[in-house]
Amino acid sequence: MTDWNAMSDAEFRKEVRQFFEAEYPEELRHLPHRPKFAEIEHWHRKLHAKGWVAPAWPAEYGGMGLSAAKLLIFYEEQQRWGVNRGRDMGVQMVGPLIIKFGTQEQKDYWLPRILSCEDIWCQGYSEPGAGSDLANLRTRAEADGDDFVINGQKIWTTMAHDATHIFMLVRTDPDTPRKQQGISFLLAPMDQPGVDVRTITTLSGETEFCEVFFDNARTPQKNLVGELNKGWTMAKALLSFERIFIGSPSLAQNALGQLESFARGRGAFDDPVFRDRFAQAALDVEDHAALYSRFADQLKRGETLGADVSMLKIWVTECFQRITELMIEAAGPDGGTIGPLQVGNVGVDVLSSFYKARPTTIYGGSNEIQRNILSKAVLGLPG
Amino acid sequence: MLSSDQEDLRLLRESARILFERAGGSGRSRKLRDAGGGWDAAMIRELAEAGVFGVTVPEENGGLGMGLAAGGVIAEEVGRVIAPEPVVVTVGLSLGLLRRLCPDHEKVGQIVGGETVLAVAWQERGPNGGPAEASCRYTDGKLTGGKAWVVGADGADGFLVLAEGDSGPVLVLADAKANMLSIKKKTQADGSVMGELSFSETPAEQLAEGPAVQDALTEAVNDATALAAAELVGLSDRAFEITLDYIKTREQFDKPIGSFQVIQHRAVDLHVMREVAQAGVREVLAQMDHETDPKTRARLASRAKARAVSAAKKITRDAIQLHGAVGYTDEFDIGLYLNRALVLSAWLGDDAYHRRVWFDAREEEGAA
Ligand SMILES: Cc1cc2nc3c(=O)[nH]c(=O)nc-3n(C[C@H](O)[C@H](O)[C@H](O)COP(=O)(O)OP(=O)(O)OC[C@H]3O[C@@H](n4cnc5c(N)ncnc54)[C@H](O)[C@@H]3O)c2cc1C
Repeated sequence: MTDWNAMSDAEFRKEVRQFFEAEYPEELRHLPHRPKFAEIEHWHRKLHAKGWVAPAWPAEYGGMGLSAAKLLIFYEEQQRWGVNRGRDMGVQMVGPLIIKFGTQEQKDYWLPRILSCEDIWCQGYSEPGAGSDLANLRTRAEADGDDFVINGQKIWTTMAHDATHIFMLVRTDPDTPRKQQGISFLLAPMDQPGVDVRTITTLSGETEFCEVFFDNARTPQKNLVGELNKGWTMAKALLSFERIFIGSPSLAQNALGQLESFARGRGAFDDPVFRDRFAQAALDVEDHAALYSRFADQLKRGETLGADVSMLKIWVTECFQRITELMIEAAGPDGGTIGPLQVGNVGVDVLSSFYKARPTTIYGGSNEIQRNILSKAVLGLPG
Repeated sequence: MLSSDQEDLRLLRESARILFERAGGSGRSRKLRDAGGGWDAAMIRELAEAGVFGVTVPEENGGLGMGLAAGGVIAEEVGRVIAPEPVVVTVGLSLGLLRRLCPDHEKVGQIVGGETVLAVAWQERGPNGGPAEASCRYTDGKLTGGKAWVVGADGADGFLVLAEGDSGPVLVLADAKANMLSIKKKTQADGSVMGELSFSETPAEQLAEGPAVQDALTEAVNDATALAAAELVGLSDRAFEITLDYIKTREQFDKPIGSFQVIQHRAVDLHVMREVAQAGVREVLAQMDHETDPKTRARLASRAKARAVSAAKKITRDAIQLHGAVGYTDEFDIGLYLNRALVLSAWLGDDAYHRRVWFDAREEEGAA
């Protein structure tokens, strides 16, 4: 087994880059939509054979065991080459939770299946009445013999129509003083009569997310991860690394590159007003990257990140949105046209970038919620 | 663990902060403004003793030999207390020129030692009021013409003047008390004075000549631009702190105004802006220390100034709004920060100007 962390950063980066450049299918680079598993299965097999599906997991569980520093490099290279993250909710979310809180039996059973994508996971947290106020969730799970019986509804469940399993937060005790209590973390199979998945069409016409209805659906009690009624704190504990990842510069950097080639092709730079706004956006991206590396350096020094890392997400997602808005402006009368717009010999899908940018300020804790967090946890403002 | 470089900068920041706070912080700056907008000669000597002016001057010429990143640390501290002493002018411009053109000249040691302060006069005002082609002449040891936007003109002991000599550009030194030198003083928003100089056969000593003069000027202006950005970063930092304290303590509707979400979110936006500016400007200064190509250095300096100005404008202006009417008074310190931000923004190019310069430089590099 290779000890990646023993390599120099430069060597490691080279190794990762070479693998992506040589092996990643060209037609899957910078995919504008979320793929179904079948579309990327071939790539996943290669990654799996290489042992690179789970860069962050400890090696003993089949991961690469990367340090924070190496992990950042891995993701930077992935994003640089436009490598799709695949159906990674298993790897990114359930896996780490099972590793941290699961029993040996759960680890032995679930982890290899996540790596091989034998199980494909979706995340069932949000409900119609529980969005930003997630702790308001009402989907019930009640013990019945060896099983839990689940009733309720999840919504906005990304790619639930292409998943075999759902990890969910459910209410296991409805009578607690605080609504954050009485919530548990549960794994459930999707392929059963009590689970009904309906796709929701997004603004861009894609079917990316779903409603999932539970009508006396069942899952064995042994699929409870961690302690009963302790799901809330467990789910929170997972967020720390995600928080820098979601604020990484790559989305905005890629969009800026797209904007630049599109605007150049369309002659938009002849307009001094456009030039200024482009310069503003480009500088926003550069200076964000400087702030990002400050946090990344902190991780590399082995420090844990504080709540202030939220500012990366606020800045970069809003910047990403402005960049895609500029693309639409540069498109002029084509700004409402679906599909790639031709500039020179490349097609730039302006609307799809625009749509992709919209929800980034909504999910992962909306930007308003991030501002609430910063104002209290970092600025110490009252109330 | 911080690297040793970072550790050096941290210590430098700490000692500069202590020095300014002991001297009286922003209260001292207010007093000096009220007394007519000059600086404090004793403070110049104290800063010199701490090595401030020689921060980027090589050790063999009596400086600390630390580089622009260290200069930026000091400039940030100057900005935090809006100190009127011409630190950026000295480190960036006057020593920026002298250390490149004539590092062994006696003036270098005198400036580093705080015995003398020189201002730099290079821009000229055209008939429409804006900057114009230079036309100031130097022949037979005498200067003729005019210079505008000279920062520190009121207290400087002399002027480093860029002029056209008999065979190309020259850098000359004119004494502030020289004959046939008149100084028109223009008071700035922060109470400081900017000078318009006119020379009619004013005696001056030549320090350097040839194309090197123009090159050194370009680099000195790059340095000063980036350092002014750092000063704005420090200023923004402190202006935000003052505002944050205020919204935590001012009560309306029986609560601190900082408990209202709209105020909280605006405060967060200012905080994020200050952090982005700080990270961006510090990165630029560190990169400029390792960059030798003047064009790339100019692009970097523009990036820093564009960011620092836009952040400082937004932070100081929103700060006034968040203070309510007291923010509009002269009595509250926050106004001093707004006024200094106005002056530092206009000096050496504002954000819109530097975005233009940055964009053009980027295009040129892309084409090359
Ligand atoms: C593309 C996409 C994919 C998603 N995928 C998943 C998934 O796979 N699994 C899953 O569980 N969820 C998923 N979500 C749901 C996501 O987590 C929620 O959308 C998010 O938590 C916000 O909840 P909401 O949509 O109900 O908005 P609401 O909470 O109703 O918010 C509406 C507006 O009010 C603002 N607001 C709410 N509370 C406050 C407050 N206290 N202060 C100030 N403003 C406030 C919000 O910022 C927002 O602007 C996805 C969402 C999107 C858009």
